[in-house]
Amino acid sequence: MSVAQVKILDGNTFVVSGPNGDIQATGTDTSGMFSYDTRFLSDWVLTVNGQRLTTLSVDDVHYFESRHFLVPDTGTVYTDSKIAVVRERTVCEGFHEVLTVMNHDENPVDLTIRLEAGSDFADIFEIKDALASKGKYYTHAEEGRLVLGYQRDSYHRLTEIIASSPAQYDRQGLTFNAHIEPDSEWRTDIQVDAEIRGLGGDVVHVGHAWGANRSRSAGEMQRDLERWVAHAPRLECDWDPLKRTYRRSLIDLAALRFSPTIADERSLPSAGLPWFMTMFGRDSILTSIQALAFTPELAATTLQVLGAWQGSRTDDFRDEDPGRILHELRYGELTAFEERPHSPYYGTADATALYVVLLDEYERWTGDAKMVCNLEHEARAALNWIDEYADLTGRGYVSYQRRNEESGLENQCWKDSWDSLSYKDGSLPGYPRTTCECQGYAYDAKIRGARLAREFWHDEEYAKKLEASAEDLKQRFNRDFWVDDGGYFALAIDEKGRQLEVLSSNIGHLLWSGIVDDDKARTIASHLMGDRLFSGWGVRTLAEGEVRYNPIGYHVGTVWPFDCSFIALGLRKYGFKEEAAKLAAGILDAAEFFQGRLPEAFAGYPRALTMYPVEYPTACSPQAWSTGTPLLLLQTMLGLEPLGDHLIVDPVLPAGIGHMELLRIPGRWGRIDAFGRGRLEVSTGQAAIRPQLGATLPDLPHI
Amino acid sequence: MTMSATDRFFQTLADRKHEELLEKVSGTLRFDLSHDEQTDHWMVTVKNGDVAVSRDDSDADSIVRMPKDLFDQLVVGRVNAFTALLRGEAAAKGNLELPVLLQRLLPGPPRGKQPRPEAAPTPSPGAAAVADAHAGAGAGTGIGASAEAGRR
Repeated sequence: MSVAQVKILDGNTFVVSGPNGDIQATGTDTSGMFSYDTRFLSDWVLTVNGQRLTTLSVDDVHYFESRHFLVPDTGTVYTDSKIAVVRERTVCEGFHEVLTVMNHDENPVDLTIRLEAGSDFADIFEIKDALASKGKYYTHAEEGRLVLGYQRDSYHRLTEIIASSPAQYDRQGLTFNAHIEPDSEWRTDIQVDAEIRGLGGDVVHVGHAWGANRSRSAGEMQRDLERWVAHAPRLECDWDPLKRTYRRSLIDLAALRFSPTIADERSLPSAGLPWFMTMFGRDSILTSIQALAFTPELAATTLQVLGAWQGSRTDDFRDEDPGRILHELRYGELTAFEERPHSPYYGTADATALYVVLLDEYERWTGDAKMVCNLEHEARAALNWIDEYADLTGRGYVSYQRRNEESGLENQCWKDSWDSLSYKDGSLPGYPRTTCECQGYAYDAKIRGARLAREFWHDEEYAKKLEASAEDLKQRFNRDFWVDDGGYFALAIDEKGRQLEVLSSNIGHLLWSGIVDDDKARTIASHLMGDRLFSGWGVRTLAEGEVRYNPIGYHVGTVWPFDCSFIALGLRKYGFKEEAAKLAAGILDAAEFFQGRLPEAFAGYPRALTMYPVEYPTACSPQAWSTGTPLLLLQTMLGLEPLGDHLIVDPVLPAGIGHMELLRIPGRWGRIDAFGRGRLEVSTGQAAIRPQLGATLPDLPHI
Repeated sequence: MTMSATDRFFQTLADRKHEELLEKVSGTLRFDLSHDEQTDHWMVTVKNGDVAVSRDDSDADSIVRMPKDLFDQLVVGRVNAFTALLRGEAAAKGNLELPVLLQRLLPGPPRGKQPRPEAAPTPSPGAAAVADAHAGAGAGTGIGASAEAGRR
């Protein structure tokens, strides 16, 4: 099922099928019905009189709902069927499928309608890494239901399939005999439930997507989505693709909401479909920051939940330290049996500092002082982690080296692939590794922590200590990481303090953090927007010309939209408003090519070469921080910035956008409207923003 | 009669009276620990970090069930609470925030290797350690923490 997969989801339950609605999982693909990191259904194939069905049209109505119009496959290119089939599927703690078969003939028909069902109960990690299961499977075909089960010791997961019409249930599926009169239809409802069985056989909801109650109906989900979109600020502008991208982002963000065990019905962003429908420290925090001006409640939940799971002890298997914020939490079999450390796994070098950054930024937007006081202990523990646990080399920097050498993460920064960090000659450094952006985040966390200490915790002494420590870090950093002959900051330093002198997008995050000396900012900005890094669509993860540069290398040349959104914010922070607007224009223009849904990454080819952004082959989509990217770019272009109880609006729009209005922005001011005018009045039109980006394209057909 | 690890855990929790890590929450958490065809009940009542322990078996905001011998392992860090739940060896129902916060007081697993030699022990930043000399297997900051807790 490599082509045209249909994905629907709700929380961490999702279904990936072919266009005809069938699921036939093979190899390492992610077809199936998944819940809590486990595949509960790997086969789900519909036949009518033994014939497979072919797709006339498919419609993912909402993110949780799909509709497939089908006819029996005649084996030829012609379809002239008197029979038509509609499958309407809704995700809800498993899924609900309404199957309708229509007879368009003038005679009655008798049909055998069959659904083949099977499950491998694979942990999503098994699929990713192609591992074999260790437990036992069972199947119970009973009167009125089919149960597929999997047990390994007391670990027990099962899938229950129940149809509303009479059916014969056997071990491989269920069969209906339907008699349909002319111009009539036959219909059945099928419920496929994913169940986790706990101690004593009780049904356990270890963290149902929507709290402890049974899942919601499609109608409730529809109303929830409408509320969500209506509650978010409204965007008006003369560039239509941006409005579509914005709406797509809001809906995808709704889809990616996830309510972990302890959050009741509140939710936080999970990282992305299909591999990362779970809680991630880094991804949840950065997405929450991106969405602060739009849906600040995501940040509130992120802070509470990550705070509740904050590391409290030294655990080598989980790379846990006191005060450390988690990297990833999983619920599958391999986690349960501790063959993977995600219960939760703490191996991340940046989430802990970013946690403090989010807490401060959240208060600046919302004025929620209670949260800051409630999380004082967590914020102090996080700040303490930076100095007491993260300085692995004794140089006063945040470094990382996994203690779990079997299944821990080798790279604990956001560029986590094996070759993402290299020296100028392309060789890879040893450990511990000390990446530049983590020092920026640590600096920012200290500065923000000082504000929180002074204004909310009433601890002036601690505030001064944090400020002094931040200033010291900034001075050392600007000396130790500065590549003199390049005029930029090294990607990292190694265990001996030697620089990895390559030019990378990470320097943009340094602007966002504020760690860059003022007199160095201009040269950083010109590198970011120069030919080696800026592709015309966005900033490459690694500059063209570096030994490991590869325009389709995961972290060594591709463009990551989320990366660019923070770079744009950083450019803005140091006063490079035009540059920020141009970068925003590039990314938002790319979004149009992906129907408003930015992928995780796209290729770093120069714009003039491909004329369209080439999607990275296995990019995760929708992905939370790509989904949040247009939101942060809107904030950046409009120059939205909380100041006391006010919202500063200082718009600099990309050339070609005439006006932009963001209405009803939530925050400590209540709701407020922001207006931006372009410097040039231009006629509206999609191509209007393109001339500044390096290559001019003809207008796209309207998407 | 010698105290079990479970008894010591609740004793230590009761003796501490206040737990910084639990300051955000108020509620009741009952542990139902089964052994020899019977069930021991331990009721932990938290009010903004003030902790009281009783043997009450009345209803609670959250209820955690498991065999007592598993809980004995859990409180010394030899078993992880979350994975035991995922494996179906333990069960939890009701409000799960309290159990999640409380499990942070438990020690980590025995260290696979010693901390780096140059790393001097520092005071823990989280909950101040309640060192339980009998349960020295774990390294951590919580109840049952061993002396080697701390930085690496």
